[in-house]
Order: sequence, then structure tokens, then C-alpha cells
Amino acid sequence: MILYKGKIYPDSKQNELIDKLPEDLLFTLSHPNLAVFDKVIAAGDKMYRKAIDGGYDDVAIPLLNEFGISYQRYITMARAFSAEVLRYKCSVELGDDWQNLPPLSGGTVRRFAPLGVLFHVAAGNVDGLPAYSVAEGLLAGNINILKLPSGDSGLSVRLLSDLIAQEPDLAEYIYVFDVPSTEFDTMKRLANLADGVVVWGGDLAQHAARDMCGVNTVIIPWGHKLSFAYATPSVTDEQLDALALHICSTEQLLCSSCQGIFFDTDDEEELIAFAKRFFEILKARNLRFGKADAAMRGRNSVQLYTDRLENVYPLILSDEGVSVVVKRDARLELSYTFRNVWIKALPHTQIVKELKPNKGYLQTCGLLCSDKEKQTLADALIAAGLVRITGRDLSRTFFGEAHDGVYPLRQYSRVVEID
Amino acid sequence: MTKRTAFSFFSVYYKPTRIALYRFKPMSNVNKLFSTRKIYDLKKSDALFVKAMRDNCRYQYGHCPAYKEFLDRFRFQPDDIRTFDDLQRLPFLPTLYLKKHRMLSMSERRLPLKVTSSGTGGNKSFVGFNLRSIWNAFKMVCRVAKYHNLWSARLTRYVVFGYRPRRDNSLGASKSAWGFTFFAPAASRIYALDYKDGGYKLDLDNIKNKLVKYSKGRLPVRTMGFPAYTYFLLRQMKEEGLSVKLPKGSLICLGGGWKQFYAEKIGKQEFYDLAFEVLGVDDKHIIEFFGAVEHPILYTDCREHHFHLPAYSRVIIRDVDTLLPVPDGVPGLVNLLTPLFDSAPMLSILTDDIGVLHSDPCSCGETSPYLEILGRVGVKDVVTCAQGAEEILKDFLRTDDDTL
Repeated sequence: MILYKGKIYPDSKQNELIDKLPEDLLFTLSHPNLAVFDKVIAAGDKMYRKAIDGGYDDVAIPLLNEFGISYQRYITMARAFSAEVLRYKCSVELGDDWQNLPPLSGGTVRRFAPLGVLFHVAAGNVDGLPAYSVAEGLLAGNINILKLPSGDSGLSVRLLSDLIAQEPDLAEYIYVFDVPSTEFDTMKRLANLADGVVVWGGDLAQHAARDMCGVNTVIIPWGHKLSFAYATPSVTDEQLDALALHICSTEQLLCSSCQGIFFDTDDEEELIAFAKRFFEILKARNLRFGKADAAMRGRNSVQLYTDRLENVYPLILSDEGVSVVVKRDARLELSYTFRNVWIKALPHTQIVKELKPNKGYLQTCGLLCSDKEKQTLADALIAAGLVRITGRDLSRTFFGEAHDGVYPLRQYSRVVEID
Repeated sequence: MTKRTAFSFFSVYYKPTRIALYRFKPMSNVNKLFSTRKIYDLKKSDALFVKAMRDNCRYQYGHCPAYKEFLDRFRFQPDDIRTFDDLQRLPFLPTLYLKKHRMLSMSERRLPLKVTSSGTGGNKSFVGFNLRSIWNAFKMVCRVAKYHNLWSARLTRYVVFGYRPRRDNSLGASKSAWGFTFFAPAASRIYALDYKDGGYKLDLDNIKNKLVKYSKGRLPVRTMGFPAYTYFLLRQMKEEGLSVKLPKGSLICLGGGWKQFYAEKIGKQEFYDLAFEVLGVDDKHIIEFFGAVEHPILYTDCREHHFHLPAYSRVIIRDVDTLLPVPDGVPGLVNLLTPLFDSAPMLSILTDDIGVLHSDPCSCGETSPYLEILGRVGVKDVVTCAQGAEEILKDFLRTDDDTL
């Protein structure tokens, strides 16, 4: 499905429309709609109101059920599109005075301008994300070309056409194509039309983007990340229980999900005692939360049984689909997911040394320690490359937060100066 | 005390000087099992199966030090296998483990047939057949084919949805598909994956054209391949409005499992309906096989499309958490048992499949329970952002995962 200037076309029209695209882009760039920002805010707000009135329930509820998200949380997430939150986002990311930057050196006027054209290469792991990426691009005033992820449910086109329906002036700022990533030449053509390419997805997608972009195209990478918890001996059972809840509720699938725990010790006995303590807490929490998916538990049981046969880890504890595996290295790695955690020793003096090699992949660290240890440890983690130091809930979200350590609107804008 | 005795008995018994003895005596139960005539009469073969498993276990224990160590760790001795229930306690090896650690009980030089699985992520299972295992497997295939009326004297056109065999292709799927083309004399053989210009290329258009051509002829056609490939072709033909009727006696044979379908949730009935619509073959002429490289027993579906267990193997379904056996009718991990292999200790393997064993009566008349594969472990196949990062970290940092 193609969305071109507010109209929906079949994929067979792809080449014809892409041939026409450069001319249409140039026209919009030469005759910019100065009210784009207000239109986006207005359209977003109308959609938010429609969402809280149940206007999207037909598509939203099946998705919420599939991913086990509560309706309440959906309403909270929908608020991201409200006028109030969109304005707040702009002022946090671009500064309170972003619409009225004070002049420099007496007379030089400054303002934020859009990059121009953004090409969004979306990933398929979160359904609403492609549309949200476009909304961010619009907020900065850009024309947006979206490449749908393979297996897109049709939600992106639906949301974006709805956005256009609210404010028809946005039509020439939104283009959606369903180009397979394997059509390299088409991807390259679209990338070359853009000033910036926004790439969601793993390293494969990031490498592909580097191959298709000229050096004069900005790449804005939203890559995959790994997160973990760091605990010191002063950690309380209550903190560990909250971490266990986070692990059960996210199933360790998000970039911000805790994959394992680094424990501040260099003594294996202490490490093992800690692992046993956390296992009991995780087990109890799992029991209250309800078991994970059976096919996933099966996969992990086979994996853990194999680990036991290989006999390389000092301790493997498992029950009812949850497990704790003590490992001797200090490598940051993916867990088996679905409530299976690794535990490794990492003395606080070694934090930077051991974590630094993971540069670019580090996201959140749930820091579980006493208040007086907090600042020093946070400093070390930041030095190693982490971008979010949270408490027990690594996946907390709130409006105005940075994305992987940067503000998207800044990435999608440039500052222009006029003497 | 008894265990201790058994242990010392083996260490003496398997001294190299005595090896000649086992070749004639203890393994003969395995030969007998694979000569069973009533292939779905499990009650009659139960006792023999247990003896054959014990013999095989003894042999592996004596000839594969890693397997000996494995059983010792579980404090299990081959002679502990006395009744069928003891087989539930026999420690099992996961295919995941076998992919990473090659275990052999005889020199590779004694294995004229070597096969690998189509493993993902660089890890492949390797299995080797010595002459005796080949002979036993051959007897099994002959008997199963006879029971299911696969033998035919009529010239047949074969369409294989798989690789054209080559000497350097040791894939089990390729070898078994090739073997399949000998049940009836071949008038021709065509392959969906042909070797051209130094690589395999998929050519479904050729297959499509040939099927249309064959439908106008008289010779029966037999197709063989993954359900997914076959389904893909059928759907394509339907979209193009192609509908033919293959000559009488044609068969659609499926093998390799429905694993590609679990995500799409395509029902078997939908497949049968499509095959009838596009190729004019009814579901009585659609036959499905099931087997694994690590467990090359030929499971063939009955006319009700059930995989009854043959005399050569048994299946234990295990709880996804505890790995303990579950009652019939309860889904769990599929544990496959057979004494077929001499070359490696693969007598009880734990697969990545989730299945259920049904013991209710089947209208085909066979009393043997039947296995239904429900899916593969870990298939919810959620695309996660954390997993993507791991892929690259693995390349970036040295890992000790891949020993193969």
C-alpha cells in the first residue's frame, strides 16, 4: 500500500510515483507551508481525543491483547499525541525559547529550520512506531518519506491517513511506500532524495543504510540496545523484587529490558549467594505474575538442560520457566529472555573497563544500591557509555525523555543564522 | 551395590580383546526389531524394543567415552533398562547439545553414509551410518513403503521441491528426497533447486510449467518436498488462475515439517483443499513424512493424517519446565527414542519440537499411538530490539558458543 499526497495507491504504482516524487518534493520545499507545526499539533491533538473516545479501539484492542498492554497504559501512551505533550516535547528538546531564539552578536537572527526531507526506514517490532517516527519528523517541519517494515499490519498507513484527514495540508508532507529492503536501487533512490535517513532496526539495517546513503546524507540511527541491572551488596529484597517484576512484565524483550545483573564483588561465593537470593525472589514474583509462554519456557528448558550438560557455569538455578545462571565472564550479553537472567561479577572499579567495549549498544542500567553509593556508580556507568541510569524500573517512560541519549527533534533540525 | 557390579562388568566386558563378541550377540535384538513385520503393532514389539535399546545403550556406553561420562553423571547404567518404564528414566541428549558436540562411537572410516541437518546459525547435526544401520534403515523404509502402498511398477514423473543431489551436498533433506524417487521407476526427475553457475537457484516457474505439461500426459506424478514450498507454489498457481488435474495415481508427498507455517497458522485442511483445487489431487493421495536427521525413523501419516509410532521407535512427551514425562494428550517437548544408530549415542534425543501423543483410537484401525507436532520451541518469534544487538555483539566480542 502506498500513501502519496493523502491518497492510497496499490504497490504496482510504486515506480510511477517515485518517478514523480522529486518534482513534488521540490515544489513543497520551494513553497513551504509555514503553518506545518501548528497543523501537526492540531492534527495530533484531534487524534488523541479520538483515541480517548475509543475511536481507534477496533485496531488498538487486538494489538493490546497480543502484547499484554493494559487499556489504561494505551490511553497514557496516546497522550504523547496531545497538543500539550507535543508542545512540551518541543520545549524540552529544543529549549523553552526555541520559537524565539535570542539573536547573536547584536543582530544575527537565529532559528530552527527542518533538515528538509527525511526518509524513515522503519522496523517492525513495535506497531505504532513507524507512524510516530513520521510525527516527530513533521514536528520539526520536515517532509517525510516512510518505508514500511515488512509485515506491516496496515496500522501505519491508517494512522497517517487519519492524520491527513484531520489536517489536509499535511498531505504533501507525508509519503509512505512499501518497498522491500531487498530492492536496493529503489531504497537508494529514496535515500538520495532525502537530507536525512532515519534508520530503525538492528545492525543489519544500519549497515544497509550506510551503503545506500551518499556522504552528503545525514544518517540518524536508532539501533538496537542492551540494558542490565547493577547491584551492590547493599541492595534490598524490595529493590530486587521490583526488578523481578520488571523482568516478568517486559519478558526482557525491550531495548531497556534488564538482561542480567552485574554484582559488585570479586568473590565467587558472594556472587553465588546473591544469585540464590535473587532466584528465590524471581521465582516468587513469577508465581504471582503467571507463567511465561509455554513454547518459550520449552526453549529455555532445553537450553538450560544443555548448559547443565556442558557444565561450564558455576551455578544454574531454574524452576517453573525462570532461571538464574551464574557466569564467570563480565561480558554484556542477551539473556535467554522470558524471565531468564544471567548474573556476573563486576567490581565497581572495573565498570568502565568491562563495559566500554560495548559502546553504542549500551542503554539503560537499573542501579540497585544505597543512596550514598549512587553518585559514584552512576558516574562510572555514564563514563562507560550508558545513557539512562534508572532505579528498579528500567523501562519507565515519560514525556520529554531523550531517545537513546539524544533528542530526536534536534537531530531532525538545523540551526540557521541570518545576519 | 548392583550398579557397582554392572559397572565393573562393563569395564571387563568391553576390553578390546572381547569386542568380537558383541558384534554377533548383543546387537542382534536391534536387527530383529528392524525386521518386524507388523510395523504398527507396538504391544508385540515392546519387549524387543526394550532389549534392543539396552543393547544399543551398552554398546554406546562401552564405545563412546563422552556418553559413558554422561550416563555416569546421571548414575544410570545400561543394565538399568529392564522394562519400558526404564526408558523414561534413560537420560536423553538434546539435539542442541549434539549440534555443538559431535559424539561418535566408531571411527568415521566405518561410516559410508554421512548426513548433516540444515542447521541454523552455523550449528549442524552430523550423523553417520555404518553398514548395519544402513541395512536396518533400508529394511524399515521398505516395510513402511509397503504398508503405505508407495511401491509402484508404473513409470513416474518426480517433482522434488528441494535440492538436486550433488556429491558435496550432505543435507539429510536432499538425500532422503532423492531416495524417495526410487519407490517407483522414474520417467523423469526435476528439482526446484537446481545447481547452476556454481550455486543453487530456485526455479518455481519451471516446476509450474512442467506440472501443467505432465497433467496432459498419462504418467503419474509424485511431488516431494517441504509443505511450505509446495504450498507456496500451489498458492501462486491459484493466483494465476492455473488449475490442472494430475494423472490418476499421482501423489503429493510432504516432508520436513510445517515449521515455516507455525507463524502463519495455516491449517492442514486448507492445504488439502488448495491441492485439490489446483492439482486435482484429493487428500487420500497426499502423504506426509516426518523424521529428523538425528532420528531417521520414517513416520508416515495414515489416511486420517496421523503419525502412528512404528515399532522401530517410541516417543516420550516431556513437561516444558520439569522435563518429566507427561500423560498422553498433554503437550510438551518431544523426546524420540530408537536403537537404529550404532555410530553415535543417539538412542534418546530431546528435540526442539512441541508435540502431543494421542492414544485415542484412530479410524484407520491401527492401535499405535500417534504423534502430533504442534510447533517449535521459541516460536512466538518475537522480533526484539535487544536480540538484534546481540547478533552483532557476538561478532564483535569473542564468543565461546560455536565449537563447531
